[in-house]
Amino acid sequence: MKLDVAKVKSVDRALSPSAAALPYDEMCDADGVVRPHYAALAARLETLSAGELAERQKTLERFFLLQGITFTVYGAESSTERIIPTDLLPRIISAEEWKTVEAGLTQRLKALNMFLADIYSSQQILMDGVVPRELVLKAPSYRRGMQNLYVPHQAYANVCGSDLIRQPDGAFAVLEDNLRVPSGVSYMLANREASKRVFPGTFRGAGVRPIDRYPDLLLTTLKSMAADWRPNPQVVVLTPGVYNSAYFEHAYLARLMGVPLVEGRDLVVHDNMVYMRTTTGLRRIDIIYRRVDDDFIDPLTFRSDSGLGSAGLFNAYRAGNVVICNAPGTGVADDKAVYAYVPEIIRYYLGEDAILPNIETFLCREPAQLSHVLANLDKFVVKAVGASGGYGMLVGPHSTKAQQDEFAAALKADPANYIAQPTIQLSTAPCLIDHAIEARHVDLRPFILSGEKIVVTPGALTRVALRKGSLVVNSSQGGGSKDTWVLTDRKDLQP
Amino acid sequence: MLARVADSLYWIGRYVERAEHLCRLSDVMLTATLDRTESATQIARIALAAVGDPQDETKARSPYEAALALVLDREDPGSVASSLSRARENARQVRDQITTETWERLNLIHLRMNDTQAAQTFADGSQAFLHDTIADLHLFKGAADATMSHGEGWRFLLLGVYLERAQLIGALLEVCFGDRGRRAITDHSALTSLLRMGCALEPYLRVYTADMQPQYILEFLLLDEDFPRSVRFCTARIEEHLTSISRHVEAAGVSGPDRLAGRLRARLQYAEIGEVQASGSSAFLGAVLDECAGVHRQIYETFVAYTLEQRLPA
Repeated sequence: MKLDVAKVKSVDRALSPSAAALPYDEMCDADGVVRPHYAALAARLETLSAGELAERQKTLERFFLLQGITFTVYGAESSTERIIPTDLLPRIISAEEWKTVEAGLTQRLKALNMFLADIYSSQQILMDGVVPRELVLKAPSYRRGMQNLYVPHQAYANVCGSDLIRQPDGAFAVLEDNLRVPSGVSYMLANREASKRVFPGTFRGAGVRPIDRYPDLLLTTLKSMAADWRPNPQVVVLTPGVYNSAYFEHAYLARLMGVPLVEGRDLVVHDNMVYMRTTTGLRRIDIIYRRVDDDFIDPLTFRSDSGLGSAGLFNAYRAGNVVICNAPGTGVADDKAVYAYVPEIIRYYLGEDAILPNIETFLCREPAQLSHVLANLDKFVVKAVGASGGYGMLVGPHSTKAQQDEFAAALKADPANYIAQPTIQLSTAPCLIDHAIEARHVDLRPFILSGEKIVVTPGALTRVALRKGSLVVNSSQGGGSKDTWVLTDRKDLQP
Repeated sequence: MLARVADSLYWIGRYVERAEHLCRLSDVMLTATLDRTESATQIARIALAAVGDPQDETKARSPYEAALALVLDREDPGSVASSLSRARENARQVRDQITTETWERLNLIHLRMNDTQAAQTFADGSQAFLHDTIADLHLFKGAADATMSHGEGWRFLLLGVYLERAQLIGALLEVCFGDRGRRAITDHSALTSLLRMGCALEPYLRVYTADMQPQYILEFLLLDEDFPRSVRFCTARIEEHLTSISRHVEAAGVSGPDRLAGRLRARLQYAEIGEVQASGSSAFLGAVLDECAGVHRQIYETFVAYTLEQRLPA
């Protein structure tokens, strides 16, 4: 049985109820013609039978299982291991589109780092009234202890993973910034490994930009944070431990960077210096790439019930004897309410318009905006400011009356805790679902590194809402992922 | 190397060795008891006693159930499945320190053991199942040897393997040749099975020919210089790896456990089988096992759970 690519197009259309809000189709244009950068893949798919595709999907899943890229499902009798759902078909982005994404992300992170440097020193932007003072200073992620600390290169967020979506007109927009401990980069790298195995021919012909330098660039970025005082710094990755759902990623990055993977219990702080316990005694640490949330890194400064960090770590950081990456307190810049002001922030510091637009956002703390949101709950996506991972969220068009009433009550009780955005039809990409190719909604999470300079990796994690019609891509809510090919500009290629 | 990582690597070695030994014991027990003879029951009794499950006559008379429990009982922390789960859990905790090739081997064995079909596969052909598991464990050790740097981490892994092996073979010999008033093993097929439990039959034949003598078997499994499962061979490796690892701590002014390991190695290197038997094999084996336990304790105290006072920078 041959697959009918034309059929995929009709499925696309069926996903969306009204023509006005038609989602952007990654593979085909409005007339159903395959876009040029998808041509090679579409042609390859026409030649593969459903059986062959299923075989490749199996190869892919076996690769993930063998590598141990799994999470554990704890059952009544025994626990089983599942792989994270991964889709076989790559999502492809043209060189032209990527240029905009890259420039936009660089601009955005540059401005956000300047914003952090400002609010943790002279707070000029607050005095000029561009961002409301209490919005920043009352945010739970604001850390007073970070005030007036020297951060090299003003690089507060060394690793950033922004969530982009494609609007119905095809333009990318930023849905969310993630400046705390963004995860998913190991899936970007593992998906690539896997797709090289399952589509070697198409991959070779497509001219996909390589992403395998990420670990090396990450290490360079981290090292640049101590370059002025430690010529050959000891870098470590700090993980909450093996039971954390992103543990695979922590171990993966440590292995590829060739640095130790430490847990809180391996660390000792003495005289404001941080050491790790090795077989031959204590060894000084200079740079900590921490994959532990702010709240848990130091029980003396933050949550006293945390066993994941190390007592005294923050003081050692304040004393300038160790670098913590990302810096504590970066969360204030990806706060969902501060998000609404990012275009202003970019204009304030850089004097430029934002290259990547925001999604229109209503701040429920403003009474006028709140009443508008309450009147249109069935059309909006409402999010709690402090929540992440797809929790504490109402997707208006997919909600019941009871859920809407529940959110209306919560909104009235604590309006400052919520924002609302119009429901965006995320773009769709072809996916292999139960032996057939069907369209599913996807987003895009690229990874940006910022140290001495800002580097955008030419690739991303594409998250997929595997349930038909669903707009929620988070892995905790039935989402999967797929490889993302950013194509080389043919003009850039050396003959 | 991180102390926690060294500890995990050491335990991976121990668990993997334990799992392999249990598989082999189960395999020999199942093969031997295909004949319903008195010596077959004796072999089952030896195998069960060697894994610390002594004097259970009902178990010895139903070897299949006993083997099934030894291999797949997840409730029993000493079973093959539990040992491999722990080895794999430790490997996951030090995933950044072992090569992908090594990890894949261990992960594969773990997935097979924890497959919902595992019990069925065991029932369909227990010998094939055990044979495959042992072969996979050899592949794991081979992958570690061929792909990991032969540095500190690899040495901790092997320390675990050899210490565990020395103790397991020592315990097996104690069961068979100890002076606890047990009936001496004289039966030819029982002696052959004993050698199989130590994976020693073919190497033994090459040294002593098919002349099955309890004294030769004890000598071979205890004192042979070249056989990789003799206690002497294990203690020589333990000393070798410990000496290498201890070099670094000694530079920091801490005395390592290699003195104890050297004494243990010398005890076996200069022992003579006649003397061992004259003064009682139990006493000799007891001293060996005690010293193994002492080495284990000292490894832990020197490299893993040291007190910070001694190591803080001045």
